[in-house]
Amino acid sequence: MAYAYLFKYIIIGDTGVGKSCLLLQFTDKRFQPVHDLTIGVEFGARMITIDGKQIKLQIWDTAGQESFRSITRSYYRGAAGALLVYDITRRDTFNHLTTWLEDARQHSNSNMVIMLIGNKSDLESRREVKKEEGEAFAREHGLIFMETSAKTASNVEEAFINTAKEIYEKIQEGVFDINNEANGIKIGPQHAASNATLAGNQGGQQAGGGCC
Amino acid sequence: MVEPGAARTCRRPREPERAGPPRAAMNFLRGVMGGPSAGAQPSGAETIQKLCDRVASSTLLDDRRDAVRALKSLSKKYRLEVGFQAMEHLINVLQTDRSDSEIIGYTLDTLFNIVSNDLEEEEQEENSQKQVDDLGRQFTEIFIKQQENVTLLLTFLEEFDFQVRWPGVKLLTSLLKQQGPQVQQIILVSPMGVSRLMDLLADSREVIRNDGVLLLQQLTKSNAAIQKIVAFENAFERLLDIVTDEGNSDGGIVVEDCLLLLQNLLKNNNSNQNFFKEGSYIQRMKPWFEVGDDNSGWSAQKVTNLHLMLQLVRVLVSPTNPPGATSSCQKTMFHCGLLQQLCTILMATGVPADILTETINTVSEVIRGCQINQDYFASVNAPSNPPRSAIVVLLMSMVNERQPFVLRCAVLYCFQCFLYKNQKGQGEIVSTLLPSTIDATGNSVSAGQLLCGGLFSTDSLSNWCAAVALAHALQDNATLKEQLLRVQLATSIGNPPVSLLQQCTNILSQGDKIDRRGSKVQTRVGLLMLLCTWLSDCPIAVTHFLHNSANIPFLTGQIAENLGEEEQLVQGLCALLLGICIYYNDNSLENCRKEKLKQLIEKRIGKENFIEKLGFISKHELYSRAAQKPQPSFSSPDHMMFDHEFTKLVKELEGIITKAIYKSSEEDKQEEEVKKTLEQHDNIVTHYKKVIREQDQQLEELKQKVNTLKSQNEQLQTAVTQQMSQIQQHKDQYNLLKVQLGKDNQHHTSHSNTLQMNGIQPEEISKLRQEIEELKNKHEVLQGQLREKDSVIENMKSLQSETGTNEQSSQITAGLEHGNELHRELEALRIQIQSQSLDISKLQSEKQELLQQMGLFRTTPYCWGKAKNTASVPALGDSSAVIAAKNSELEGRLLQEIKELKNDVKALSEEKALLKQHLDSVNSTVAVLQNEKSKLQQEVAESKKEQDDLLVLLADQDQKILALKNKLKELGEPVEDEDDIESGDQGDEDEEEEGEEED
Repeated sequence: MAYAYLFKYIIIGDTGVGKSCLLLQFTDKRFQPVHDLTIGVEFGARMITIDGKQIKLQIWDTAGQESFRSITRSYYRGAAGALLVYDITRRDTFNHLTTWLEDARQHSNSNMVIMLIGNKSDLESRREVKKEEGEAFAREHGLIFMETSAKTASNVEEAFINTAKEIYEKIQEGVFDINNEANGIKIGPQHAASNATLAGNQGGQQAGGGCC
Repeated sequence: MVEPGAARTCRRPREPERAGPPRAAMNFLRGVMGGPSAGAQPSGAETIQKLCDRVASSTLLDDRRDAVRALKSLSKKYRLEVGFQAMEHLINVLQTDRSDSEIIGYTLDTLFNIVSNDLEEEEQEENSQKQVDDLGRQFTEIFIKQQENVTLLLTFLEEFDFQVRWPGVKLLTSLLKQQGPQVQQIILVSPMGVSRLMDLLADSREVIRNDGVLLLQQLTKSNAAIQKIVAFENAFERLLDIVTDEGNSDGGIVVEDCLLLLQNLLKNNNSNQNFFKEGSYIQRMKPWFEVGDDNSGWSAQKVTNLHLMLQLVRVLVSPTNPPGATSSCQKTMFHCGLLQQLCTILMATGVPADILTETINTVSEVIRGCQINQDYFASVNAPSNPPRSAIVVLLMSMVNERQPFVLRCAVLYCFQCFLYKNQKGQGEIVSTLLPSTIDATGNSVSAGQLLCGGLFSTDSLSNWCAAVALAHALQDNATLKEQLLRVQLATSIGNPPVSLLQQCTNILSQGDKIDRRGSKVQTRVGLLMLLCTWLSDCPIAVTHFLHNSANIPFLTGQIAENLGEEEQLVQGLCALLLGICIYYNDNSLENCRKEKLKQLIEKRIGKENFIEKLGFISKHELYSRAAQKPQPSFSSPDHMMFDHEFTKLVKELEGIITKAIYKSSEEDKQEEEVKKTLEQHDNIVTHYKKVIREQDQQLEELKQKVNTLKSQNEQLQTAVTQQMSQIQQHKDQYNLLKVQLGKDNQHHTSHSNTLQMNGIQPEEISKLRQEIEELKNKHEVLQGQLREKDSVIENMKSLQSETGTNEQSSQITAGLEHGNELHRELEALRIQIQSQSLDISKLQSEKQELLQQMGLFRTTPYCWGKAKNTASVPALGDSSAVIAAKNSELEGRLLQEIKELKNDVKALSEEKALLKQHLDSVNSTVAVLQNEKSKLQQEVAESKKEQDDLLVLLADQDQKILALKNKLKELGEPVEDEDDIESGDQGDEDEEEEGEEED
């Protein structure tokens, strides 16, 4: 299918906060109540529309377990957006955000858009982390914030789409280098003809530079 | 075992002649060691030791570099020695001499030679392969023991310098080959390890890029995590770009390497497959299969490439993938035209057999279970004249014994995939066999004809394939199982036609008599599988089968016989068929009822024996192999025994039949009853379902009615509310009017009677009562007044007019006098003012005169001054001064006077105003008094009038009394005194008044 842009996302955060469920809700519009531990990384994709443009989202849902951390780190560099997820009913997952953020900032490109997500907002009775705390953390670290429920689908679309909007705005502002695919952004096939030559030239230049 | 990658490396002249031949190195060494020593040449080990020492101890870089170069040149011949002695030193060099790319290059080359087995393979006569393997593995183990060594190597791969990067790539590839999992793990945990290796694909130097592909092949081998990271780093895009750039299947070995890497990334990796599909990369595969019809050359490389390309397609639509994933890929392949492209290869001429076979397999899996793809496949025609459907063309190959075995298997697979979950396709195939639809002209061969031909040919492979193909046309399709019973075959001229079912059993029983090519068991197994599939879940087919009395004895005979091992399979299948005949028996044939057949088994075979024979099937080695995957793939035609779908059927039936056999007839009866009751229940249920459906309909209708009524109701209610409000308005208006009316009533009591007619309320009654009361009171008051008036009249008679009025008029006159006084005063003041103003005017004229005089004085001195000189001037001046003083005095007095006068005037005018006010008030009081006076006068006049009236009345009464007295006198009654007459008069008056009221 034709798309104007392709964005790569990663979903990160502690194990059991609902990363895979968020992705499943977003791509398949369904909820799986049984916790199926993600091994390494799983892929999902969906098309969205922003500003009248078709945008393809390719999403890599990472394993939250510590043992997979070295694997998941490999995905930071090539992603344009990250959803950093915690569980509002488990304070420790909120407390670990700093570690996750440091990790992400260290391994990703500096322009990566990070969306902080407090998931499981349907479990209000078991809430341990106030919404205000999440907002404050996001403000402090310059992140977008949202509370979601993968179960009820509340705010799930918005979380993915708002992240894309932010990336899209950054592209419009010229912050992202869209010709460098390592940033997790790709121009769609309709623009591909003009960009193929461009990419070719760049490759040549790079090689030439190396020889000197 | 020869590593395929390794073999390729040998085929390719990849490595340029960079290092000199070993001999040259030796010469060089001799030179280094100071000339040849007499006779005794140093052993390899000694030389290597010396070189190692130099590498370790020399402070000069050049020296160390030379030594490493020497080690490199020895590393092939003295692999073991260099490996054991120099490894440590070489690693040290890597750590310390990073800045010099040349020495690093030599070091990496040397390490590669030690670790790699590739070079040794050329000299296999010296060492056995196993030893070589061990050597490489051991050295690799030593090298990777320190994880930092691998990490260090990764940093060299980032070096752009060819001398470093290329040997680095080769060394890492070798390490991965030797100790894959461990090295993979080290790379995985080193930060960005995999990502950095991906950069190799972007290297503009083809050698590095190509070796990078080989490295990634090793790296991604059976490690899903790494496969995903590599995919994430845009591997698909880059590899597909390379394949395209290299000319797709016409490309060289690089294309092959890329395809192998792609296969590594996709095989059994659902996440990556999904990514591949979502990344629209399937569309990019289509041009791969645009193989022209010219087929000028099918190079070995092209065949290999195309083969791998086809396999890559199959990886995406493999039946072992999750169903959803496969079906979405299948749809994409149809929509992007890939399937269509594959079908053109299928029908093209000159395509090498193995490519054709693989293409058939690929098409099979692309259409399997996917309706649109199956429909498309059914519509494909071969470019022959007349056009034949691809299915027919393929079936012709399947039943053609001259075709290669793998091709025939592929066609069978294709046919199975076409029919898999495709009732429409099944129907189309079976219909070509049915009497009504058979093409009588015989112009074209139909699929059904081909299958029958195969079924009864003398080639056992064709028998088997046709039987299985036909079984697939009946799979899970009860209608077609019944339809196929109608098929009659004309066996030979003169004989009556035989049903297809019977023909199958005939061949089964007489099989031994026919001379066949291939295995007799194969034919019988094929036919038995067809019969089992046909009869299962189809009681009518069972009845048909049992109708031929020869069939059951044949089966029992087969099962009961004690045959050799190769016949066990047939025995098992016969047991299965007999079991099906029992289980799906509807007892419509008296001789072959369930219990009779069971008794037969017990008598002839024995239950235990029967179950044991039945068990032969699933215990067979080939059975479990066939159960693994849908594709029929057999190492040899002899192994072609079981079909995948049939193994599923066996799994399903084995337990059921065993149970059915062990069941007693009573249980059977019970079961029958249960079945019957179940049927009854079903009937009841269906009845109720019908009722419910009807009720549903009714409900729906009623709901609609309710809805319409509701809306009507709403409309009406709004109308009602509107009207209510209108009514309210009217009421309000009415009330207003009523209030107004009430007021009117009060105002115009005279009209009360007519108005009260409208509302005959108790209030009004009470009002009337009140009025009556009031009137009574009035009456009394009037009587009182009358009495008073009487007395007043008395007084009036005596006193007459003057008195009361005089007092009042005196008051008025006093007011008037007062006013007159004020007028007079005012007049006086006016006169005063006039006189004063006269005074003022007098004074002013005086002043005027004086001023004139003064003007005269002023002009005269001046004249005099001119005439009489200055002597008289002072005097004149004096006099003038006096005059001036007097003047000013006068002026001041005048002014004062004027001021005073003015003040007086002001005071007077104020007084005047006050007086005026006073006058006004007095006037008003006068007016009031006059009013009063006139009123009083009126009153007086009225009272006079009343008096007059009363007097008249009295006179009348007097007259009446007199008349009455006279009457009484006439009647002879004694007339009393005047006092009594008066009291009687009063009573008369009352009567008269009451009479008046009644009017």
